[in-house]
Amino acid sequence: MQAIAKKRLRLFLIYLLCILIAIVTLFPIYWMFVVSVQSKLEIFSGPHFFPPSFHSENYTRPFFQDVYGRYLVNSLIIATGNTLLVIFLAVMSTYAFSRFRIPGSNNIFFWTITNRMAPAAVFIVPFFLMFNRLGLRDTRGGLIILYCIFNLPFAIWLLKGMMDSIPKELDEAAMIDGCSLWGVLIRIILPLARPGIMVTAILTWIFAWNEYLFASVLTNVNARTMTTGLIEFVTVIGTNWGEMAAVSMVCLIPAVVFISVAQRHIIAGLTFGAVKD
Amino acid sequence: MKKLVVLLMIMGILLLSSVAFAQVANPDWWKKAAEPYQGVVIRGVSESTPPSKTIAEIAAPAFEELTGIKVELETTSWDEMYNKEIQDMQAGAGIYDFVYIEQDAAASYLEQNWLIDLTPLVDNADLTAPDFDLPDFTSFIDSFKDEEGKLYGIPFEAFLKTYIYRTDLFNDPEIQAAFKEEYGYDLAVPTTWEQYTDIAKFFTEYGKEKGIEIYGHVAQAKTHPCLAYELCETIWPTWGVYNWGVNLENMRTSVENGGTLNSDTAKEALAWYVDMLQYAPPGVRTYTWDEAAAVFGTGIIAQGFLYMENLGWLANDPDRSVVIGKIAVDLPPTKPGVMEAAEAGEGYIGYYDGGAWGIPHSSKNKEAAWLFIQWCTRKEWQPEFAELATTVVRQSAFEDPIIDELNEKMGDYYTLMQEKGYLFAGCPPLPMQTPLNELYLQWISRAVAGEISPEECLDNLAEKADQLMEELGY
Amino acid sequence: MKGNKKQVWGLISPTLALMIAIGVIPVIYIIYLSVFRYSVFARTGMTYIGFDNYRNLMFDSEFLSSLRLGLSFVFFCCIIEIPLGLLIANLLTYEFKGKGIFRTIMALPLAMAPVSIGSMWVLLTNPDVGPLPYFLGKVGVEYNIGVNATQAFATTVFMDVWHWTPFVILTFMAGLASLPKDPYEASLVDGANRWQTFRYITLPLLRPVILTTLFIRIMDTFRIFDEVWMLTSGGPGTATRFVSIHLVREVLRSMNYGYSSAMSLFLLYLTIVICWLLLTFISAAQEES
Repeated sequence: MQAIAKKRLRLFLIYLLCILIAIVTLFPIYWMFVVSVQSKLEIFSGPHFFPPSFHSENYTRPFFQDVYGRYLVNSLIIATGNTLLVIFLAVMSTYAFSRFRIPGSNNIFFWTITNRMAPAAVFIVPFFLMFNRLGLRDTRGGLIILYCIFNLPFAIWLLKGMMDSIPKELDEAAMIDGCSLWGVLIRIILPLARPGIMVTAILTWIFAWNEYLFASVLTNVNARTMTTGLIEFVTVIGTNWGEMAAVSMVCLIPAVVFISVAQRHIIAGLTFGAVKD
Repeated sequence: MKKLVVLLMIMGILLLSSVAFAQVANPDWWKKAAEPYQGVVIRGVSESTPPSKTIAEIAAPAFEELTGIKVELETTSWDEMYNKEIQDMQAGAGIYDFVYIEQDAAASYLEQNWLIDLTPLVDNADLTAPDFDLPDFTSFIDSFKDEEGKLYGIPFEAFLKTYIYRTDLFNDPEIQAAFKEEYGYDLAVPTTWEQYTDIAKFFTEYGKEKGIEIYGHVAQAKTHPCLAYELCETIWPTWGVYNWGVNLENMRTSVENGGTLNSDTAKEALAWYVDMLQYAPPGVRTYTWDEAAAVFGTGIIAQGFLYMENLGWLANDPDRSVVIGKIAVDLPPTKPGVMEAAEAGEGYIGYYDGGAWGIPHSSKNKEAAWLFIQWCTRKEWQPEFAELATTVVRQSAFEDPIIDELNEKMGDYYTLMQEKGYLFAGCPPLPMQTPLNELYLQWISRAVAGEISPEECLDNLAEKADQLMEELGY
Repeated sequence: MKGNKKQVWGLISPTLALMIAIGVIPVIYIIYLSVFRYSVFARTGMTYIGFDNYRNLMFDSEFLSSLRLGLSFVFFCCIIEIPLGLLIANLLTYEFKGKGIFRTIMALPLAMAPVSIGSMWVLLTNPDVGPLPYFLGKVGVEYNIGVNATQAFATTVFMDVWHWTPFVILTFMAGLASLPKDPYEASLVDGANRWQTFRYITLPLLRPVILTTLFIRIMDTFRIFDEVWMLTSGGPGTATRFVSIHLVREVLRSMNYGYSSAMSLFLLYLTIVICWLLLTFISAAQEES
């Protein structure tokens, strides 16, 4: 009897906590939605907790009359391309770091990570010069490569721990059975490290999707991303809050789809971490 | 219904614009001049404001159709535009064939020798339209000339920052009576700062008393470049502190070096500025030029100073403004003697800003870019451009009947600009204005936040500014 | 394990080549710039001044105070985000209805670009029309981030917590997912309660993931720019002028390339040292216990 009551109480507390957190999380996003359907005048005349009118042109103009559709496609291609590249490189190199004795591997590993620590702003100048020389400026490929500078260290670091936790005996056994290195990677490591890889992929994707500073200086017309497009709404004669919020809302959609699909793969592994009651 | 009217108006404007473009005065000249550059793509960068947007969306496609030269104009935010064009010109990368030169930045760009002298192009009859008529430009074009009179930019937008007020409030008999009773003189456009302060105080207190939301003052007091600009452009000049407090002869700011930045007048003005924030809406310290104008548009501000590039939407766009038909502009109030000095040409009372197109040395298609620059500033297109973008750079455009119509809506802004424009001045020729503005902001924002007193702020600032000047080799 | 040397290098060389190309070459260029007096707007061009830029850093009171602010921002963000993330990640190990929806909601802030987050928070906190001042006003708190320095600082921390706690949750969830089963079964046999299991099994096992996440958060909060730039631009006064903001203003507004290069290298070095010290400290503490 007592156990059931206790269980109920716990469930109640869990729901309470979840709802509380959800409200705090959702409120700014809800507010963004409210802003996205208001006219500029309404935004600046007192807090409206429910949209007083529905200005759908905030959504239609940027995408149908302006070029935000293209920015969206660019962002999708760049973020996804970067994620694929980063995951590919990171899985290979973390596997090597975790399984083989490489001279100076600790130093190499640490150095790779330091690349994420560098403040981005000052790198604008050398990257600008470099990209200009190499013809990579204003290309999607350029940004896909460039974003590795902060995503690859991140991915390597996150994956290293996950790789380490996969028992070595498994791939040793496979190797003895005549499996090639690539065979081991694909058949043994990839499935086992899936939760880690998926989380890394989500976060890598998000970092690339949201990057602003490099994209602003290194793209002009063809490879401009959504974040740089958002900044265009900020002008000297007034920020176009409504359209900015509307575009941000639309931007949420691909991100949410991506996150929820990838999250399912983390969850597959999550159950055994918890104790069954 | 309202929407339909707006829609019809927009369609009308679009229709008109196509008509206007069909009426290019001498299309054959353009075709012939552009012949060698068929298929060339020229790139430019600008800020996403109505003048540039209008050029990108209307002028550029029409130009391409007529001449076969494709124009790619990036319109982006103010900060980003600066970063991108300076990065490009500094590295000589040759990305842009024409760039936006804000009046403030003209001196820096000339000092760094980033732009080409346009004079030879103007003199080249093959490349310059016979009716280009350089003398027709307003005196604003002088901001883009060097000491020898060489021309580096062709202006396409210009506006003032001046005093704006609500005619409906100022003419309300009840308010007038209440004001007279309290201050003993008639409520009118202030000519002195004391009157301005009275009016600000009056409206803010009146609002509180009557329980309506109305404030007598607005400012752009956020920790943002605009704060330093507001003092340098608007407040200090009307108190008689010119040129950002810099002594232009030796480029020093402190009093002991002949500058005026930490003079008593400057300190007094700053103290006044900080004190006045109490009469503005409570959020004033989070306002940039953006929110200041937006809040004015919601009708809770009685008077203040705004960049007049906002006037277009304030006076016309019902989606953003409730003060349509209720605003007028006038000269700013001044301290004694300042107006006389300005009239005598020895000072100025406010800010005359705008932008021009220039061609960087690194441009790969200078001639084609030059053609496009002329295209945007064509005489026959200017009245229409004025309507779309609320900006006038040519004398002839002032004479057009369209301007009379606009004047009515905009509280005689164009008359003020035409007749009194000479009292205003752009940013003084400070080739280091960007870093200087950053330094000013750093210190002034602390005084505005109350971290330090205005005296302390300006004494420190003058010292640091002198150091900066020396470091930069001035 | 010993591998075919060729194969092993084949695995890591693409990564190394890429990181050298985009990681080393720019750093060399920045080291080069850092020994010059070089500002875009200077009349003097580039002047070699040796290590003067570095020396000046140590006497630059604006830089030092922004450094202190930046570090305290890092401290407050991490000290809230890590425990909070741990708590919520643990919450998500329970089975309950609607968990999937909650999980997606949790991750939403991550999906927003910092640029739009910053501008939305401008509207949320606007003293005239924002809901936050409105609600706080109802409970008698006068909230104005344009005036009150403490509130402005707290708001930036809160914004960061709002934005990045989901990140912490995600990494912790992945960490929990890859924990081995055996210790839990053993503890079940021993009759340990949930708290004991968490304290003595989950926490130690999760330690590498917690550390990794903490380090990433330290690095990222130390470099924070977009959101804070949009929200306060470092104001009021100097209340939120974190060192990352200070640096960007120095690079993009003042265009003082020489000095800001020195500043960046110093900050890079400082981050490395902080992470290294933290690592040593934590492993020492662990050995003791």
